[in-house]
Amino acid sequence: MLEFPLDTQPDPDAFLRAALRWHFSPETGSPFWLERAGTLGFDPLTDIHGFADLSRFPNLANELRDVRAEDLIPRGYGPHPEVVGVYESGGTTGAPKRIVLLQEWLDRLLTWSSAQLDRHGVPQNVNWLVVAPTGPHMVGDVIKRQTAFRGGLAFTVDLDPRWVKKLISEGRAADAGAYAEHIVDQVAFLLQTQDIGVLMCTPPILERLARRDDLAKLIHEKVKAINWVGTQMDADTRYLYRTEVFPKAHLYSGYGSTMILGNASERPGLSDDDPCIYDPFSPHMVFDVVDPKTHETVGYGERGQVVMHHVSKSLFMPNNLERDYATRVPGPKGVWQLGDSVADIAPVQEFDNETVIEGVY
Amino acid sequence: MSSGLITLDALGPAGPFRARKRTTVTDVTGAPVAELSLVPKLFVTRAMTALRKASSLPLTERTEALERAGRIFAEEIIDGLSFAEYEHTVARVSGVPIGVVRAATAAIIEATEQSRYAAFQARPVGAVDDWRAEETRNGSAVWTRRGDVFAVHAAGNHPGPHSLWVEALALGYRVAVRPSRREPFTPHRLISALRAAGFGEDQVVLLPTDYEAADEILRGADYGLVYGGDDVVRKYAGTRVLPQGPGRSKMLVPAGVDWREHLDTIVDSISHQGGVACINATTVLIDGDPAPLAQAIAERLALIPSLPPEDDKAVLAVQPVEGARAIEKFLLAKAAGTTAHLGGDGVVEELGDGSAVLRPAVHQLDRPDAEQAGIELPFPCVWVAPWSPADGVGPLRNSLVLTAFTDDEALIDELLAEPTISNVYLGDHPTYWIRPGVPHDAYLGEFLMRTKTVIRD
Repeated sequence: MLEFPLDTQPDPDAFLRAALRWHFSPETGSPFWLERAGTLGFDPLTDIHGFADLSRFPNLANELRDVRAEDLIPRGYGPHPEVVGVYESGGTTGAPKRIVLLQEWLDRLLTWSSAQLDRHGVPQNVNWLVVAPTGPHMVGDVIKRQTAFRGGLAFTVDLDPRWVKKLISEGRAADAGAYAEHIVDQVAFLLQTQDIGVLMCTPPILERLARRDDLAKLIHEKVKAINWVGTQMDADTRYLYRTEVFPKAHLYSGYGSTMILGNASERPGLSDDDPCIYDPFSPHMVFDVVDPKTHETVGYGERGQVVMHHVSKSLFMPNNLERDYATRVPGPKGVWQLGDSVADIAPVQEFDNETVIEGVY
Repeated sequence: MSSGLITLDALGPAGPFRARKRTTVTDVTGAPVAELSLVPKLFVTRAMTALRKASSLPLTERTEALERAGRIFAEEIIDGLSFAEYEHTVARVSGVPIGVVRAATAAIIEATEQSRYAAFQARPVGAVDDWRAEETRNGSAVWTRRGDVFAVHAAGNHPGPHSLWVEALALGYRVAVRPSRREPFTPHRLISALRAAGFGEDQVVLLPTDYEAADEILRGADYGLVYGGDDVVRKYAGTRVLPQGPGRSKMLVPAGVDWREHLDTIVDSISHQGGVACINATTVLIDGDPAPLAQAIAERLALIPSLPPEDDKAVLAVQPVEGARAIEKFLLAKAAGTTAHLGGDGVVEELGDGSAVLRPAVHQLDRPDAEQAGIELPFPCVWVAPWSPADGVGPLRNSLVLTAFTDDEALIDELLAEPTISNVYLGDHPTYWIRPGVPHDAYLGEFLMRTKTVIRD
């Protein structure tokens, strides 16, 4: 049940009950959940009937900041589980949260996400230049394996987002800029010497690449697809890339979270005026968009805070409230999907207090 | 989007650009007037690169094109607006009285007509305009640009400052202007006119942006000009960006001078331009009892009517009520402990449509170095303080314009020697006096140009 073939559509509630049986049975569940089962106030095996009941679970993501990583692995995988890595979430607001990526889940994720790339027309058997965080972050490693899965070589240039955010929060914008140029310099060598078919990077790095005439020319000549991730890109910028800067490359975005062990590509076929919509890998990933104050689901087309559930054999992590804001949109037409899709991801907006500034300007 | 609104596109190196991201420009009642495209950073980067790659028109061509642009600005329908409709719109959105708007647009037109004369007044006497001049055969300095691209973060308080960057175009710079989101109409119209007059789309651009992309305009330029408060001045002092900060213009009435003879000039200096300009008098210092002078100023200023900005007889600036109330609250807090002759209970007079007139305020201080003497606010707000020669030039420092009703040569020498006083007007001249060819805050050419020696066979 938990390993349903990807071309079939499982009964979602039966799937969820199977997952709970796995995660909450003493023989197969993880020490993390088995320890907490008694404190929930209900029995996950008998009181949870379907995805609608997931909201009864507390958001335990904060406990991932100090739990032993070993305790997150379901016992059902035996004494020698196939672990791809232990990864951390951003770590920009306090201590990082930690999660374990098992080979079995990665295989499912890659099969699903690779099919998404095919739908985007991203070519197979080409090399990727991945300018993304590695180290404690998951995305770099996953994309490296995805490249291998699709038959190319992955060239990686590491990005350390925590360092960049630290520099910016300390007002060291010039240092942050120098670091970004250091990244661009490394990218330059790869663009100049290697066959790069797909470029994955963040919007700020892409802007710096576009600014350098020589590198923009190399990208224009070599790169078939550009995958941007990590922060938002406004519609006008996207339009300029598509029409003026890199008109030959297919530009698309991705959105993911360490807490759901994965990512989704933007819905294929969106127009220049559409928002970037992300459809999750259902029913393993389920999205909801809620009012930040009441935690009630907002209406379609309205903005709110993103809530994510992850349900797989590898991990059960319900009700994780993300920092991101998004517009709630229905899932794609004609495709079975549990829960909602999300669009126009943006961090929480902060507004400056307006104060009287002396002077006449 | 909403119909009936004026649409203001960005004016990029490949022509007008209508962005998906737009901001609504409202008038003083909060009613929407226009939709302004906001371009992203990538657009800015590419526009600045295009300016850098472009070439400039030759001197005569560009000053002739500037002259033509002034006529187009004044006479033609641009973006569907006649000149009169444009001026009316500026008054309605900025709250600056229509008479002041007309004077400012006249100054912009004059600046285009006289750009060659005005911009080149800054040239050192030892230098020539062109290496082809006869003088270089025997060796001469040639006045040359320090860079190619000039960026302006414009202010929205008053259309007048747009006459300044025109000089950079005359000097051969390619220019990028980031308009104020409060009043983008003037630079939009002026740049549209410049393009119609012969400037290339890659020679002068209008880049409305949000805050994130604003710095990118300066980053992509060789030299820049920004308007702002003390924080902006501190941030950019001594860099390739020229800050234009608070004016804190002052007037000095020494002993033996009868202020009654100069009352018109004093009152005018405070209230002309609605008090929104940096060349409006902020502080009046008098050797003697400040009370009678403060009282006389207050009596005059109290007579000014409260009118909507588009009224031909309007003198005072208008703001949305909320903004006006914030300024009033700030003033009342800061003025505590001073003697109010006018505006002690507040300065806001609501017009009943969501807008409010900022009425004049006159406060008397008991010492020239009181903290309030340096507070400049965007309406006729004046501080009248006692001064004696024993106080020296200290209280007169940090003035964009200082009008001194004096013929004391030793004092005049001192005022001219004081680096933080930008302009010294002696006798009966209002602080707002200015004309093309004299510097506003040193010549722009001093900042943008340098000399190089050339000798040739």
